[in-house]
Amino acid sequence: MATSPANVQSFYMVKRPNALAVAWKVIVKKPSRVIGLILIAIFVLMAAIGPMLYPPVLPINPLAIYAAPSFAHPLGTDFQGTDVLAEIITGARFVLLGAFFAALFTVLIGTSVGLAAGYFRKWRDSVLMRITDLFLTVPSFPLLIVLSTIWRFTSPLALGLVLGITGWAGLARAVRSQTFSLRERGFIEAARGIGLSDWHILTREIFPNIAPYIVMNLLIATTGAIYSEIGLFFLGIVPFSTNNWGVMLNMAFTQSGAMYTKSGLLYLLSPLACIMLVTFGVVLFLDAVDELLNPRLKGV
Amino acid sequence: MAFLKVFVRKAIGGLVMIFVVASFTFFLIRLMPGNPVTTKLNALLATGTPYPIALSKVSVMYGFVPNQPVWQQYLTYLGELAHFNLGESISYTGVSVTHIILSAAPWTIIMVLTGVIVSFVLGVLAGVIAAVWRNSWIGQSSTFLATFLHGIPQFMLALVLAYVFTTVWRVFPFGAPYNAAIQPGWTPAFIGSLAKHAVLPVAAYAISGYGGWALTMRSSVTSVLGDEFILAAELRGLTRGMRLRYIARNAFLPLFTTLTLSLGFMFGGSVFIESIFDYPGLGNLLTTSIGAEDYPLMQGAFLLITTAVIVANLLADLLYTAIDPRIRRA
Repeated sequence: MATSPANVQSFYMVKRPNALAVAWKVIVKKPSRVIGLILIAIFVLMAAIGPMLYPPVLPINPLAIYAAPSFAHPLGTDFQGTDVLAEIITGARFVLLGAFFAALFTVLIGTSVGLAAGYFRKWRDSVLMRITDLFLTVPSFPLLIVLSTIWRFTSPLALGLVLGITGWAGLARAVRSQTFSLRERGFIEAARGIGLSDWHILTREIFPNIAPYIVMNLLIATTGAIYSEIGLFFLGIVPFSTNNWGVMLNMAFTQSGAMYTKSGLLYLLSPLACIMLVTFGVVLFLDAVDELLNPRLKGV
Repeated sequence: MAFLKVFVRKAIGGLVMIFVVASFTFFLIRLMPGNPVTTKLNALLATGTPYPIALSKVSVMYGFVPNQPVWQQYLTYLGELAHFNLGESISYTGVSVTHIILSAAPWTIIMVLTGVIVSFVLGVLAGVIAAVWRNSWIGQSSTFLATFLHGIPQFMLALVLAYVFTTVWRVFPFGAPYNAAIQPGWTPAFIGSLAKHAVLPVAAYAISGYGGWALTMRSSVTSVLGDEFILAAELRGLTRGMRLRYIARNAFLPLFTTLTLSLGFMFGGSVFIESIFDYPGLGNLLTTSIGAEDYPLMQGAFLLITTAVIVANLLADLLYTAIDPRIRRA
């Protein structure tokens, strides 16, 4: 069969449709992935526009303390008579932004350390792995608490940075072992043979091969960061700069007595449910990301 | 002999880690905005305490004299640390930090270890079930339960347990490690009260660790099931029970690497579980000492939590070496 230019073009068109279309096709393949995407979209939207929908200080109403769910208050009210739904929506921004930064720093530190240790080996590897082991062994949450005494992190960025500093070690180990095995492969040897710089090999040859794994970890780290963030606020260790889900839990547990009454159930449960829903969304969506990025699953 | 060598090497590694953590907390306190040592000194001076007395009080509290150069303070601190002297607490006036943390430690260590053992036994059983019957509903629901529980943060578990079993359905007492009305001692009433108060916190530890064990064991058993020696055993006509023993012995080994991570996770989780159930352990001490700005106590509690994790890891390593002959020979 003769190949006309038009045929060649259509061949490539079929082979490489645009990335968004591919992603969409992969996502709609399973309903669970669509649910995951919807959940993530809802919370991202909440974080983006939520605080604009309400006044900066939410109104309190002493006449409606722990009101039952109604049309005006779909999730009831808290110990001050503030609408719980409003608190949930305005509280999303801090939590999600902090978790995003945390995941970013975790991946940044973990990947650089893992790549360097796995690629350079010898003394650099042993030094880096000693440090990694130290961070893996010292329980990260107590370390976080101790760090919070010198570092009054009030912004999501600072909180994310600290969470990244305490949480990168596991990823570094995994990236190191992947780099180790990649390093022995023929194409890396060839790259070294033609005299490409270490920097080039690390960033252009090795990194793209572990990138899918790192993207997956970015998403997983987000959920872990949400837990730690809310844990810090829950224990009341980080100063309460803004309203967020962790502050709500802290109030429900320590000050308002929601813990001891059945009428406080929704106030206690709403932030917990949100944490679970975000996690659930990420886990469901992860499956789609895996298929999109994992070359071995492509075309199956 | 090789066994001893491995142990000594690991023990030295552990000691180095403790040293690093101790140095880290020392310099951390000095980095703090409004250095607590000078703050305390100034506070004492402001109350009219004469300078030499204030100085000696502060030096007792933090285990060093504040006007010395930092490196000298550091050496003094390390010397005192070697004698297990961590200074005096600020919030509990006149009580040594060593005394406070040592009386808190048993609460945490006993609870965490009980939790680890319970979660280990249940998780390993569930993992075997999930792997062996992975195509039937029982295996699949076991996997699902493990995945679900693995994803729940510890504070959420503890909060839900506390809310359900002490507020909604009053079956267990809330807060405190035992009923204060009962005289502590080796009496059945006291031990009963102790056990009843321990059920929920231990359950929180156990459930939070369960999923990890079950999932690790499941994948480990699944991979051993595919091994050729199992096929060979089947062909030789060995009974099912015998084959399961072969599988279990080999599938068990990867769990020891999980143990290391799990111990850190569990000791770290004591921070939440102890504050939710109001247990007087190290985790609770750590959070309250920060609220009270009691830095010597914070330092001590953190150091002891880390040391507990390091020692527990060392024991796990030792156990691993004793069990797996391949490690012993390497």
